[in-house]
This record gives sequence, structure tokens and C-alpha cells, in this order.
Amino acid sequence: MIAFEHLEVRYGPVVALRDLTLALEDGVIGLLGPNGSGKSTLLKTLLGLLSPAQGGGTVLGVPLGSPRAAELRARIGYMPEYDALIEDASAFEQVAFWGELSGLPAEQSRDRAHEVLHFVGLDESRYRKASGYSTGMRQRVKLAQALVHSPELVFLDEPTNGLDPDGRRRMLDLVLKVRAELGTGVILASHLLEDVERCADQLVILDQGQVKAAGSMEGLRRMLARRFELRFLDPLAAEQEAALAELGTVLEGRNGLYDLEFAAAEPAAAFRWAQAHGTVLVQLTPRHDRLDEVLIRALHGTPDDLRGTGLRPTPPDPRAVGGTASSGFPAPGGN
Amino acid sequence: MPIYAPTLPPRPERGLGDPPALVLARFDVRRVLRQRIGMFFLFTLGVWLLIKLVMLYVNHLLGTKTQLAGVKDLATALLPQGAAFQADFLSGPMLFVIWLLAAFVGGGLVARDTLHRIRPLMYAHPVRPADYWMGKALTAVGLPLAVMLPFILLPWVLSLLIAGGAGPVWPTLPLRMIPAALAIALLMGAVTLGASALAATPRAGVGWSLGILFGLNAPATVLAKVLDQPAWQALSPTDLAAAWPQLLCGVTPPALGWLPTALGTAAHLAVWAWILRMRTRPSEAVL
Repeated sequence: MIAFEHLEVRYGPVVALRDLTLALEDGVIGLLGPNGSGKSTLLKTLLGLLSPAQGGGTVLGVPLGSPRAAELRARIGYMPEYDALIEDASAFEQVAFWGELSGLPAEQSRDRAHEVLHFVGLDESRYRKASGYSTGMRQRVKLAQALVHSPELVFLDEPTNGLDPDGRRRMLDLVLKVRAELGTGVILASHLLEDVERCADQLVILDQGQVKAAGSMEGLRRMLARRFELRFLDPLAAEQEAALAELGTVLEGRNGLYDLEFAAAEPAAAFRWAQAHGTVLVQLTPRHDRLDEVLIRALHGTPDDLRGTGLRPTPPDPRAVGGTASSGFPAPGGN
Repeated sequence: MPIYAPTLPPRPERGLGDPPALVLARFDVRRVLRQRIGMFFLFTLGVWLLIKLVMLYVNHLLGTKTQLAGVKDLATALLPQGAAFQADFLSGPMLFVIWLLAAFVGGGLVARDTLHRIRPLMYAHPVRPADYWMGKALTAVGLPLAVMLPFILLPWVLSLLIAGGAGPVWPTLPLRMIPAALAIALLMGAVTLGASALAATPRAGVGWSLGILFGLNAPATVLAKVLDQPAWQALSPTDLAAAWPQLLCGVTPPALGWLPTALGTAAHLAVWAWILRMRTRPSEAVL
């Protein structure tokens, strides 16, 4: 769906995206990163509004910076973070307008506006002027305009911005519905980890214009589920510590306390291992690492800190990856 | 189940719609026509058009009715005659009101998009900057032109109806005045769109438009008087607009010559188009 190779984007002398090599498969992709991390620049580049200074890539098969950018934008929907509503027009008028601007004939655009406003749950209030809408309704109008022309890929920039918990839940339900019912690829840019955790099946963490980590959410979840803390009655001898590798990867260990990622999904094997090696395992605690811990490690730690998360600190060259040549991600369920 | 129940997918066929510039212009014109101020302009200009038609009829009567010979001298002194009568269909208070209309319409066109951050979203669609400029120009130029055309065509038709080719309005008037109206509309569109691009809100856009019109008119008049060079009037868009009907109808002497009028118009179009271009580039679009 999207692939970059050594992509660099500049604003004059300022490098906004640096050496991005990344390949993303069709699905819901969570784009995480703090303000100024390059998320918006990346979206602008994907929309063909900025040209790469170096490197390149493709979006839906169209090369970045190609003269076909306008044609590409007809296949992409974009829901901005900010309030880009035409205040003196109704939801129906403006969604139909955006549909026409995306290349639909006027009549078809009006039909689609009705359909898509029904899809986002605004059918009853679609003739009211946007200036009278609540924040949740405004977000849904923005989503409707992004979907009116049935794009193959939709960029959602902070779709839950300003919403109360209930509105947020409904918006995330809609995002999942867009994927499930319309089959549209979704890029969800957010700084809210829970949003990404709930919707995304792939994750990209950006900071200072660089990809800090990328991988499949399912792989990450499975990996996090295999992390345990082991406490032994006495500190392990050197040969016992070395033998721990039979169980899995030791991520951290000191004073008889070990942070371990099990190779197999059967942590109880640790008790048998302890018996076999003449020691006593007194505690086996699941490490319920949350996504925010992973994010903090990705942003502020070293690549070693990402060990055991299932994420790759430096995504591989897409050409070098075998079975998932266009992916660069560990396959769901793998890794 | 509602009749508009989702039928998504299949995907609709894209690329079969109207050009983006036309879609933009259609949407903007609908918004302008919904505004209450539109009714004010419609009423004012309608009254003025009626006055013009009455003047035309009076002029016709003066030329044909011998009973009116007594008031002919008075009427001749009050009403413009000859080429000036022809050029008068696009001049004076009527042109001033159309300038106001252009300022209210054009002044908000770009600024409203700036205020609500519509332009970045527009460029995220298959809309190129040239489409955007063309769409806005179609509205900012098209509306004043559409308002001016009845002031040319209705008197012309009336004159043909009441007196044929020998009426007070030249049979060739549209050939002279439609190009003049186009030049005036281009000036109005360029100045007001440029002013709108400078502003952050529609009100500020209208303010900028009026400020530019009156702000340039005063120094142009002062410079022309002080330096005794009428060509300095070409600095003022309103003076340029008034000059085109005079030149095309052959009024002697015109307030401004051909060269300063043509150069002044070209300079205004270039400067304001450049400002519009610089202020609405995609790189200005912060997503």
C-alpha cells in the first residue's frame, strides 16, 4: 500500500523526515509520535503536497512527487485534525461538495453524501448548518467528507480530538467499521495510545522525523503477553543464568529477579526448569507492559530497550524482506 | 430502511465530474446568493437599471417629439450626449455600487477559506492551485460581469425595440461595452481576490478591498493633479474601470489614454494575481 526508501523531506534547510525506510500493508496503521515528530509532514508527503528531497517511495502504486499526485488524491480520503468545516453550509451540502471536488458527478456526489452521512450516523441532522453542530458531530462530518468518494486509503488525523469518552468510543467504532465494512485502508495518526491500541493492526512510532519503531500490533500484543518476571529463592549461579536461555530471552536480570520473554507460550515450564536446575522458583508474574511503556522506550531508550516488544527499531529494507516483501513488518502472529 | 441506506461499496467511478474550478465557483456563487447583502445590491442595482432605461426613453423622446423642443436644451444639459451617453451605461454611481458588490463578494472568497482552514483540506483533494485560483476568479469576475451585462444589453434591446437602428443606443454598443465590462470585471476580481488573500477573515477581506480601492484612489488623484500628469490616475483601479467604457466608446477627451489604461490594468492584474498565488500556495497549507 505504502513504501518508502531512504525518504528525506526538507523545509528549506530543515530536515523534517530523515532517511525513512518503511513499508506498510493494507490495514489500520497507527502512526504514533509526539508533536513535531513528523506525522503531519509524512501525511503531506503521502498526499503529494511535498516532494522528497532524497529517496522515494510509492503510495497505492503511484510514485511520490509524480505529476499524478492529483489523480492519487482522488483515491485518498483525508480527515484533518483541525476544524475544517464550512460553517454556513449544512453537512449534506459540504459532503456533497467535497465529493464533487474528488471527481464525482454532481448527482452521484449528492447520493453518496446521503449514504455516507447515514453511515457516520448523521442522517437526521444532515440539513443543519455546521455552525450548530457539537464537537462529535463535527468530527463525523469530517469523517464523512473523507469517505464520500470511497477512497482506497483514508488518513485520519487525531479523529478523537476534543471528544468525550462516549464520543471517542463511537468514533473509534466508526474507524473499525470503515475498515470492516468498506475495506478501506486507514492511517490513524494520534498521540492517544489507547486509540491506536484499539484500532490499529500495524504501528509506526515516529520521532524527530525518524521511524523509532514499527511492527504489527498483534505481534506486539503476543510478545507482551509472553513477558514474565521470575523470582528465584536464591540468586542463580552463572551456569544457571546461562541455562535460562532454554526458556527464552532474558531481557534483564539482577539479584535473583529476571525479566524474561518466553520462547513458547507455556510459562509453567519455568517450574520444571527450576526443578531440573536445582533451584526454587518462588514467583512468576506476567509483565503487563502497556503500549505507553513501549512508546516511551521507543522514543527515549536505545534500540536495545525495544527487545521483547516485537517492534523493529530500524525497519528493514523492504526489498530484503522475503515472504512479506512489501511489508517490512513481522507477520501477524509471528515474531 | 431509508432509501439512502448505504450501498458502499461498490466504489463510484471517479473522474467523471465537473472540473474542480467549476465545482468551486458553483459552490461559492450559491453561498453569495444566500447572503442578505445580495438582496441589497440586487435592489439598488435594479433601481439604477430602471433609471437608466427611463433616461434612454427620455433621450429617445427628445430626439423624436417636436412638442418637447422647449425642454430639449435643459435635458441636453442634464443628460450626457453622443459617445458619453453610450459610455454612461457603465459608469458613475452604478459602477461604484458594483465595486462595492465586488468588494463584498470577492473580499470574503479567499479569506473565508483561510479562516476555516478549508484550503489545506482542498489541496488534500485532487485540486491543484490553478484550479483553486480559477474557481475563485470565476466567482469574483463572473458575478460583477453578470451584473454589468443587463446594464448593456437591456438598454440596447429597448433601443432596438423602440427605434430600430436609429435609436439613441448604438447598434454596435455590445461590441464595445462587453469588452469594457470584461476588463472592469477582471480588475474587480483581481483586486478583491488579492485583498482577500491578504486577510485572515472575510470582514478583513472586505476591509482590505475597500481600503485598496479608496487608498489608491486618493494618491492617484493627488499625484495626477500635483504633477499635472493624468496618467497617474492609472494607479487607481476605480479610475481604470471608469476609463475602459470611455475609451471603447470613443469619448473625447477620455479621462485616461489607451496606454496608461492598458498598462495600469495589466499591472494591477499581475500584482494582485501574484499576491493571490503567493498567499494560497500548497506549501502554505499546514495540515
